[in-house]
Amino acid sequence: MDTASFTFAPAFAWMRRAFFLCFCCVLSSPAGAVGTAVGTIIENTAVVDFDLVGTPLTLQSNTTTIAVAERINVTVTLQSPQTLVAPGETGRDLLFLVTNTGNGSETFQLSIDNLIAADDFDPIAAVPAIYLDTDASGDFNAGDQPYIPGTNDPDLLADESLSVFLVNDIPGGLLNGQIGRSELTATSATGTGLPGTVFAGQGDGGANAVVGSTGGEALDTGEYLVSDVLVDIVKAQLVSDQFGGSEAIPGATLSYTITVNVTSAGTATASVVRDSIPAFTTFVPGSINLNGAAITDANDADTGEYDATGTPSVVVRLGDLTTASGPQVIVFQVVID
Amino acid sequence: MKILMSVILIASATVAMAQQQGHLDVQTTVQKEEVIVNKAGEPETRLVAVEVVVPGESVVYTITFTNVSAEPADNVVITNPIAEDLMYVDGSAFGPGMDIQFSVDGGVTFAAANELTIVEEGEVRDARAEDFTDVRWVMQNDLEVGAQGIARFAAVLE
Repeated sequence: MDTASFTFAPAFAWMRRAFFLCFCCVLSSPAGAVGTAVGTIIENTAVVDFDLVGTPLTLQSNTTTIAVAERINVTVTLQSPQTLVAPGETGRDLLFLVTNTGNGSETFQLSIDNLIAADDFDPIAAVPAIYLDTDASGDFNAGDQPYIPGTNDPDLLADESLSVFLVNDIPGGLLNGQIGRSELTATSATGTGLPGTVFAGQGDGGANAVVGSTGGEALDTGEYLVSDVLVDIVKAQLVSDQFGGSEAIPGATLSYTITVNVTSAGTATASVVRDSIPAFTTFVPGSINLNGAAITDANDADTGEYDATGTPSVVVRLGDLTTASGPQVIVFQVVID
Repeated sequence: MKILMSVILIASATVAMAQQQGHLDVQTTVQKEEVIVNKAGEPETRLVAVEVVVPGESVVYTITFTNVSAEPADNVVITNPIAEDLMYVDGSAFGPGMDIQFSVDGGVTFAAANELTIVEEGEVRDARAEDFTDVRWVMQNDLEVGAQGIARFAAVLE
């Protein structure tokens, strides 16, 4: 998942909705192996060669067998950045990725918790509050199914992931800079417990299921930040391959256009857009452009640069923005490795 | 009388044939290590039978071989291919009085662990536990009549 971050010093004014369009990175990192398939039978036979009175002989031992049981493991990983909200807004979503990291199929129950300690406010769970990203778009929209416990608990194969949204309303009367947290938990339907706990015969194909190091349960927490100046940020991606087509293949060029618009009254002061170069791609030198003017890659007197330290990123300083500033359009390119 | 004699003769012939066919008795067991607390309250590791494993767990294979023939056996070599889903646990091979070797080519050639190399992406590097495809124990002396030898190694389920 690749998202640009936009930071600015908030000023007065009334709030509207910040709009983030995140495009999933075209390349995902290789899936980790989560173990030998459940039910695999592993055999072992030793062979002994020896001479007896000069005659060479060979014998085989018996064959031992062991069967692979199912190990239950799951992870939940927040995908959304800190999400800018206005007090009183409704239907603000946070995106999570639930992954079955065990070695067999597993059904998971999902739950939301907004009573997280050490935040400034409790988001109010919408009804329903949990949605499955049915259209796999990464965006919360009408194509996404509400999660109904016991009816559509997601069933994931080993290594399979599912995107899940938590949807909350923001209480009124909040102050700029306050943070509210919302937590998603995924729980294995077969069972949870201390690693090593065995659920006899409840794994795939009647094999035993054994709780793995995650305890069969995982959670992650997303964050809403109250912000009074709201900014519309849209990031678009265009793929152009070296053969004149638009296939996302090694060697193809990805052109990113980030358009920033202040959509409320007030000023976003000292605003900066920082967008990390996606994994498995390389920045195209000299490709940064702001509102039609080229920006040098070096950290010099102009308003942006390519920052290769840490996670390589394109950084563009937009200064103080209001609605009168009009759309700020940042363009840069990367090539798929 | 005659009948009795023939019966006895047949019986002893059968016994002799069994011994010749047997020569060596070879048994393999698979077990896993279990840590228990003994009577003195100390943790103790012991081997217990295992039938079911999960990825990440390790098992111990023990090959016991006994010379049940009437002659000493020489050039005794035990070879154990490592199952595809298992990875050899470095340093776990054990066998008193035996030279231990490994193969990285499916049992075609064998050498000491520190002499094995493999070619990866065009470069030669030292072979590691995960590259081993077979384990071999070579007895340095004869296996005398009635003597028993033992070979053991551990592997992790991937």
